[in-house]
Amino acid sequence: MKTSVFSTLAGHAKRQAGRLWALGLAVGLAASMAGSGPADAHGEKSQAAFLRMRTLNWYDVKWSKTSLNVNEEMEITGKLHIMDAWPVAVAKPEVAFLNVGMPGPVLVREGSFLGGKFVPRSTSLELGKTYEFRVLLKARRQGRWHVHTQLSVQTGGPIIGPGQWVEIKGDMADFKNPVTLLNGEVIDLEQYKIGNIYFWHTVWFIAGVAWVFYWFRKRGFVGRYISVASGKGGELITPLERQIGAGALAATLLVVIISYALTASEFPRTIPLQAGNIRAIDALNIPESPIKVEYLRGTYKVPGRELVATYKITNTGKEPVRVGEFATATLRFLNPDVYTQKVDYPEYILAERGLSLSDNAPIAPGETKELTVKVQDARWDTERLADLAYDVDSSFAGLMFFFTPSGARYEVETGGPVIPEFLPI
Amino acid sequence: MFKRKPNLAAGGPVTEAIEASPGLEGGAGANAPTLAADAGVLSAGARAAAGSPFNSKAEAAGLVKTADILLLASLFLITLGGYHIHAMLTMGDWDFWIDWKDRRFWPTVLPIVLVTFPAAAQAYFWESFRLPFGATFLVLGLLFGEWVNRYTNFWGWTYFPISLVWPTSLVPAALFLDIVLLLSRSFIVTAIVGAMGWGLLLYPSNWPILAPYHQATEQYGLLMSLADLIGFEYVRTSMPEYLRIVERGTMRTFGKDVVAVAAFFSGFVSILVYFWWWYVGKLFSTVAYTKEV
Ligand SMILES: [Cu+2]
Repeated sequence: MKTSVFSTLAGHAKRQAGRLWALGLAVGLAASMAGSGPADAHGEKSQAAFLRMRTLNWYDVKWSKTSLNVNEEMEITGKLHIMDAWPVAVAKPEVAFLNVGMPGPVLVREGSFLGGKFVPRSTSLELGKTYEFRVLLKARRQGRWHVHTQLSVQTGGPIIGPGQWVEIKGDMADFKNPVTLLNGEVIDLEQYKIGNIYFWHTVWFIAGVAWVFYWFRKRGFVGRYISVASGKGGELITPLERQIGAGALAATLLVVIISYALTASEFPRTIPLQAGNIRAIDALNIPESPIKVEYLRGTYKVPGRELVATYKITNTGKEPVRVGEFATATLRFLNPDVYTQKVDYPEYILAERGLSLSDNAPIAPGETKELTVKVQDARWDTERLADLAYDVDSSFAGLMFFFTPSGARYEVETGGPVIPEFLPI
Repeated sequence: MFKRKPNLAAGGPVTEAIEASPGLEGGAGANAPTLAADAGVLSAGARAAAGSPFNSKAEAAGLVKTADILLLASLFLITLGGYHIHAMLTMGDWDFWIDWKDRRFWPTVLPIVLVTFPAAAQAYFWESFRLPFGATFLVLGLLFGEWVNRYTNFWGWTYFPISLVWPTSLVPAALFLDIVLLLSRSFIVTAIVGAMGWGLLLYPSNWPILAPYHQATEQYGLLMSLADLIGFEYVRTSMPEYLRIVERGTMRTFGKDVVAVAAFFSGFVSILVYFWWWYVGKLFSTVAYTKEV
């Protein structure tokens, strides 16, 4: 019976088809996975409402600029309150990283600070404390970008702060990123040694391709297969080819050794990657507030845009106080009677008339008053805080800000269990 | 129903009978197959008698060449795909980011998980074709795929600098593995010597690329390598610093010589993985066909 090599190979290929298909699928999957980098939607609203309200409160957040040119610097500053109400469903911020939420490195992060300390690595934060933060950024890529602060918590995931649109003009090609090395040399980190990366990868890629074609060129697959199949595989490789192989081996090792030695002499002082958490972050020393707030009860409408909460508030201070703001999940609900001037804060999370009180009269020194606070704004709904009804722990929390006539401000963390009122949809 | 038969059955491959061509036939036992190049041009009469589909020796040789090139191209793409997904799923972030390329995990993990497909490819290319380029061929595919990914996705779409995302250089280690097989003609020697070298070569062959980024800089009173600084400055929103698994472990007594220990350990495990994947490669190189449906 006569058979042909072609039919063998063809049959072989046919039988491999299933495997090939599976591999192809895997490649497609890999490609699509690789493509999903940081995107424009950062899932601000997708996280559970109770989680967003009860983990962190970013306040006094300021973006020093919202329009800048490439190479220009800006900073985001403010305070970060770690809530006492931190839900058990999320790991405590014992290992946490002050991060920035944006679509890739459109600005480079020149520094980030917590309590005045430089924190390029992870750190540990305590519940109930408030920390001052500062993130220093430098514009890199032209465009209009939504820039957030963010605290990433180990096993807890990212907890995103308020976002602001930042407009960058110019051209990324002009971006420079000078860094001073320990030896005094100044380099441009944007471009530094990238040519060297391409050089070495190209050199070795060419060497690899040359090696493959050296062997493939003479007889290819079919010819060699026939020889091996007919038992003449031992004669396929000539002594000369073996010598060339030995030469290639020597050359490979020589290039590795020499390039290693040259590199070692060019960069004699190198340090390992620096790792390990940064501890002992100073919290803000916030004086005890003279206002005692006791949460009594609360309800909210589902679906809806309103939360009604009743408090018993005692003013032990010397000045009358008024409730001016309730802040939760990056949203700010303002009492227009207190905030009479325009507030600079991203519009999508600022409810300028979102807070109303059952009694607008100030709480006098020494007075105890039962006060019903109504948080009412479309943003309660658009930011999906009413989804609290579907969370495992139907409790809310936030910071309540009190103001005195002399301009003092007291922030008090408040919150507790709330009861939904289901409305017909 | 299902019959498995290795490629290297004595007497050549047994396949379905198709009218054979002169010079390109694999005899089912009786005649040793002859190379096309060795066959003379047949007269029209002889050709008709033999039932050849070819008009000339040149035509047959040309078709063989075409088949070779098609096979080379498709094998490249297939192995690229398989190896690339395997690499991405197993080597973790150590290959992706410069601030993960440390002295412990990077030179330990990468050789171990990446020796797999090259070992299997060596089994296939060597046993079937006596071609000593299985490892290099696979590594070229992986690097090609990685570079396409790093350049178009990481740089082209997100503008992470290439200095942050370059892939590990693997060709020198692959050449070593291939040439050890060529010279020793033994997969056992290749496993022991080759795979050990594969593990040992990773760090020194990447040092010319990596070293500049391990220069020191002071930032706000803190010592950082340029690699750390690149990772910090070029913000990866979904990659907080605590995810990094670098420079951890218990090899404290080795101090700064930790790379060598990691590399030897990696080479040793690579040997075991090599054996295992050589047999995976052999299994994948067998011919199985259905006799009847
Ligand atoms: Cu945003």
